[in-house]
Amino acid sequence: MEPFRYLRAEDERHALAASKGATYIAGGTTLVDLMRLGVMRPRALVDISGLGLAAIDADDGGVRIGAMARNTDVAVHPVIAASYPVLSEALLSGASPQLRNMATTGGNVLQRTRCAYFRDPAARCNKRDPGAGCGAIGGHARMHAVLGVSDRCIATHPSDMCVALVALDAVVRTRAPSGAERAIAFADFHLEPGAHPEVENVLAPGELITHVELPKTAFSARSHYLKVRDRASYAFALVSAAVALHVDGGVIRECRVGLGGVATKPWRSAPAEAGLVGKSPSVAVFRAAAEAAMKDATAQPDNAFKIELAKRTLVRALVELTERA
Amino acid sequence: MEKVALGRCDGLLLLAFPSEGSDFVVREADLAPIRAELRGLGATLVVVSATSVWQFRPDDDVEHFERRLDAAAEVERLTALCGIDGASGPTSESVFLIEPRGEVRLVSRTGPGAGSLAERLLAALSSAGRAVVAESRRPVRISRRECVTSALLAGFALASGNACAPVRAPGASRDGGASGPVSAAGAGPGELDVVLTVNGERRPLRIEPRVSLLDALRERLDLPGSKKGCDHGQCGACTVLVDGRRVYACLTLAVMVQNAKITTIEGLARGDALHPMQAAFVAEDGLQCGYCTPGQIMSAMGLVTEGRAHTDDEVREHMSGNLCRCGAYPNIVRAIQIGRKAI
Repeated sequence: MEPFRYLRAEDERHALAASKGATYIAGGTTLVDLMRLGVMRPRALVDISGLGLAAIDADDGGVRIGAMARNTDVAVHPVIAASYPVLSEALLSGASPQLRNMATTGGNVLQRTRCAYFRDPAARCNKRDPGAGCGAIGGHARMHAVLGVSDRCIATHPSDMCVALVALDAVVRTRAPSGAERAIAFADFHLEPGAHPEVENVLAPGELITHVELPKTAFSARSHYLKVRDRASYAFALVSAAVALHVDGGVIRECRVGLGGVATKPWRSAPAEAGLVGKSPSVAVFRAAAEAAMKDATAQPDNAFKIELAKRTLVRALVELTERA
Repeated sequence: MEKVALGRCDGLLLLAFPSEGSDFVVREADLAPIRAELRGLGATLVVVSATSVWQFRPDDDVEHFERRLDAAAEVERLTALCGIDGASGPTSESVFLIEPRGEVRLVSRTGPGAGSLAERLLAALSSAGRAVVAESRRPVRISRRECVTSALLAGFALASGNACAPVRAPGASRDGGASGPVSAAGAGPGELDVVLTVNGERRPLRIEPRVSLLDALRERLDLPGSKKGCDHGQCGACTVLVDGRRVYACLTLAVMVQNAKITTIEGLARGDALHPMQAAFVAEDGLQCGYCTPGQIMSAMGLVTEGRAHTDDEVREHMSGNLCRCGAYPNIVRAIQIGRKAI
């Protein structure tokens, strides 16, 4: 690992003032790993674990989760487990208990891809080394994305938590070194790779995630996360689905569909949602919505299986959710 | 005289003294095989010429320090320590291997031969590999301190600590300038004084920020019970408790847990009396080779505190962050169920 300067920030102001040319470190589960691999080589780290941003506050308007709140604490929080079950389930399906004890909310929002070409400094990767080319396109792409891909990058966004957050209309709150605050809708936070896979989100240099907010909605409480993976636990998703439905009078009035493991960013599927709203829940309706969700998918030979698997996963998630309530 | 502290001196150290007049140029293409050899040996290579010191490590950029030093005298001294008679000359090229405990061996001595210096260095590294494997005929022990004293006279220092920072000299080739805005107390490119509270004891140490909690425990605090499996947060062998919660010590920077209470496998037993969870692993034969066991037991301790796993299936799910290559899982689950109830 390259040497770096280390600063433990005392408060937000201190952290922001020290941010120029530095990288924030929270739980470190992604960053330390990638630094050891030589993929990330920050010259300085600003430790934000002392910033007092770990609280989870719930009130009538929703829940405000501090950026430093650990994945475990968010998952088992009674209000989140009861009123936002998709988030709790997504978090508990991710990583391992040890990693969930370390990983933070803000850090998980910024989790980097697990693409093997990105993680290997000797491989070609436009995300790590803009312009170098993509080893995954035409390479070993079984774990890669089929939605939101470009001819520069097909790396999957690996987070489970983010798929739930995009289905909960979450809001990312930030503060810039200038002191300016921003509220960013979760669906707008991450960027598709396009021509610039190295730019993964809308954060400006030094801008610090301070909170993630969950609004109170009609659909949040009736929500569910289903993850399909190579082994029963402790594996990244091949495909996952986050679903939330508000059903009234036998008709789906409002809904959210998030997909994971198949896309270059936490994927909210407008076509799937459009296929569900106004309909009575049934397997046929769910299947039609799933077909719509994957209509624009572009696969490599290795990952073509994900298209059908995603449809079936989405249908099953919706069936499980409607049977549960 | 200004010192140059050389980094990470805890593994093998290869000291190479090129023959006088060698034009020392290492091309990028030459670096990869040198790094591969160094990685295989777990070694640091330091090349000392009359005017410069270069340091090569498997995974870091080459460090270059400009220093005038009496390399010839150092070669003579190290040669004498090896118990070899004279034969050195101003034109010969010498490579010495210094083991962590201070054994010095001459691994190669050649005239200004054919091939580039990089090629000759590579050949010397291969010899060093063989020397490490072979039984040394006449190992000569010197203390690190002796090395330090003499080296200081020669104009550079082997830092006496284990993992030490490269302190770049003013005018050094890379990153020698001001440190930018992160310059408050506590920041710095070198080592920091930290105090870790481990198993109830306050343990001061001086480490670089990049040292993981796992390496600090194993290599610096004489607590090798926590194991290094993958070093990437994938296997669980390094699991320890930080403020009562199980975490991976390999992905934890030691400087970040200074205010926390750390518990390792060494902190469970009371004298000779095993902790009930340890006793359950022994009684239920919850292991085969045993390498993952400290991590399994510490993870089980976390699981018990969390209180969310009760059935065998739940225990399996909540122990998914600890892999056992031997596949002792049935007995591990049974041991945890028994240990859980005995606590």
